[in-house]
Amino acid sequence: MPDNPYINLLVTAGLTILFIIGSSYGLGTLARAIVRARGGTPKHQQNTFAGYFFAAPWIIGFLIFVVVPLGLSLYWSFTDYRVTFTHAPNWVGLENYIHLITKDSGFRASIVNTLYYTIIGLPLQMGIALLLAVLLNQKMKGERVFRMAFYLPVVLGFNAAVLLVWRLMLNTGTGIINQIIRSITTSVPAIGYVVRAGIYVHEVINAFFLGITNGNFNLLNKVIETGFPAANRVPLWVQSPLWSKMPIVLLMIWGCGTMMLIFLAGLNNIPRELQEAAEVDGASGWQRFWRISFPLLSPYIFYNLIVGLISTLQIFEPIYVLYRDNQPLVPSAISMVYYLWQKTFSHFEIGYGSAISWVIMIIILIITLIQFRLQNRWVTYDIY
Amino acid sequence: MKRNWQIVKSIVLYILLTAATIMMCFPLFWMISSSLKTISETNSPGIVWIPAQPSLQAYLDLLQNPTFLRVYFNSVFTTTLAIVGTLISIAAVAYAFSRIEWPGRDIVFFVMLSTMMIPPQALIVPQYVLFNKINWVGTFNPIVIPGYFAGGASMVFLLRQSMSQIPKELDESAFVDGASHFQIWWNIILPLVRAPLATVSTFLFVGLWNNLLGPLMYLQSVGLYTLPVYTSTLYNINQTVQPWPTIMAAAVLTTVPLIIVFFFAQRYILEGVVVTGMKG
Repeated sequence: MPDNPYINLLVTAGLTILFIIGSSYGLGTLARAIVRARGGTPKHQQNTFAGYFFAAPWIIGFLIFVVVPLGLSLYWSFTDYRVTFTHAPNWVGLENYIHLITKDSGFRASIVNTLYYTIIGLPLQMGIALLLAVLLNQKMKGERVFRMAFYLPVVLGFNAAVLLVWRLMLNTGTGIINQIIRSITTSVPAIGYVVRAGIYVHEVINAFFLGITNGNFNLLNKVIETGFPAANRVPLWVQSPLWSKMPIVLLMIWGCGTMMLIFLAGLNNIPRELQEAAEVDGASGWQRFWRISFPLLSPYIFYNLIVGLISTLQIFEPIYVLYRDNQPLVPSAISMVYYLWQKTFSHFEIGYGSAISWVIMIIILIITLIQFRLQNRWVTYDIY
Repeated sequence: MKRNWQIVKSIVLYILLTAATIMMCFPLFWMISSSLKTISETNSPGIVWIPAQPSLQAYLDLLQNPTFLRVYFNSVFTTTLAIVGTLISIAAVAYAFSRIEWPGRDIVFFVMLSTMMIPPQALIVPQYVLFNKINWVGTFNPIVIPGYFAGGASMVFLLRQSMSQIPKELDESAFVDGASHFQIWWNIILPLVRAPLATVSTFLFVGLWNNLLGPLMYLQSVGLYTLPVYTSTLYNINQTVQPWPTIMAAAVLTTVPLIIVFFFAQRYILEGVVVTGMKG
């Protein structure tokens, strides 16, 4: 292979295309031969060839990039394999899994953090997405511009370069967010009390979650003993383990545009006649929302809940950008996928990393199955 | 009375929506504003909304920095090559699933839909080992080549849905005229699904341009870095004073293509999100 990385990529891409066309042709010919042997009509033979020929890129890619890796990682998850091994890995049985579930404090932290994002972050994110969708659904002029503005963060927000602006904004001393909080609390003392109460409640909740992670509640006792925060206190966003989860929640809320669009589609599907009939019967706007829109939205709420839950397991970019090098903070904010990455690529322990990926995959499959089971129970699908 | 109430209601609505827009777009504003400041302005207490004397120094520094230019080119180069290959292969596979009757089609399609449940991150460990074995670590190949195998089941699904809606008579009459499947695909079907193709390429562009995990794992030298990886190395926790104007200028230059694409393709994006229900 040529040393120049650009030429290398071009040559590899060309060879890949030749490989795909060649093997597609092979797969199509094979399928046609089977159909011919079974006595298919010429038209059927031709369609079989074309079908396998056109579908082959996916079929081959599925075998190379999904089936083989999954099989290998299942095997490796029962071994002590490392990238540097030149000899065959040793079979260790269930040891990786047992260590992961019973002894690994980092993995435990990632589970507790996921729980936090699910219990505290997800309802906030979905609530704001629903609020924005209801506001946009009022059908007024300029709706399109607002909709774009609310979706824009989703397009930008997964870019590490863009996420760095949050690192700048959340800086405890000089960041714009704390500056705004400071200037408001000094000019209006009443709001200052509300902010301090918010800080207190937030720190107690976070100390509790950190307590579950660590297995002792010393920090929680300390926070409660310290009592009501002093007048000049501001949030310590990216500085203290008590605060490190909140920026991630803020980013979840900032990127709620996808959920908002799903809710908007749901609101659009609600028949106008139902709303109008209720209005004629004298139902208030509030009643119409809770009694008509909300139940009819339940499939969309449920969908967003499941997708949101799965994506909290996979939060990666925000943690990397905000906390990458900051050792005491990383465990307090880490997601399961981030932990997988950290564990695999800092020590190149492939066996252990494979075990983590299988655990994550099983969790996601369980969530998805629960979705299929429960959605018939409490979600209103039939409206007429 | 009722009319006045309507007016009040719409005023409140606009105020709420404008407030939400300001909050959602504030990071973008702050990014641009900070890129025009001096280092001391970004690192000192006191709010500077818009710098009194905007400075383009950060942009000039970046545009004269050969590493940054190379990194920018790397992003453009890999994203372009990946989009072209991925788009063509996805269009081919979607054609097979929508316009041709072949034995096993429904089973293969079902398997493809089920792969959407596999989190991509569950595959990164074994894929890394495979790419390491064939000496692809330290090249662009692992972040571009897998897409050539119709990477992205949800995108195939989106395109298949659109292709299924085209009347069957169209390709049947072309068949009678002696056209091959390849000609029908290229000359008849693809021109009819231009809009869905635009949706798919927009999603692919956003995903590739923002990709962090892949480049982080495989591009192990600065000369190969793409924009997200390079820009995040500009922020270094060991430095006491962060070069914020430079970091923000790099972020702005990274964002510009995304914003341009978003403005031109927003119709496709906003519709595509609802069809696939996926993250953009």
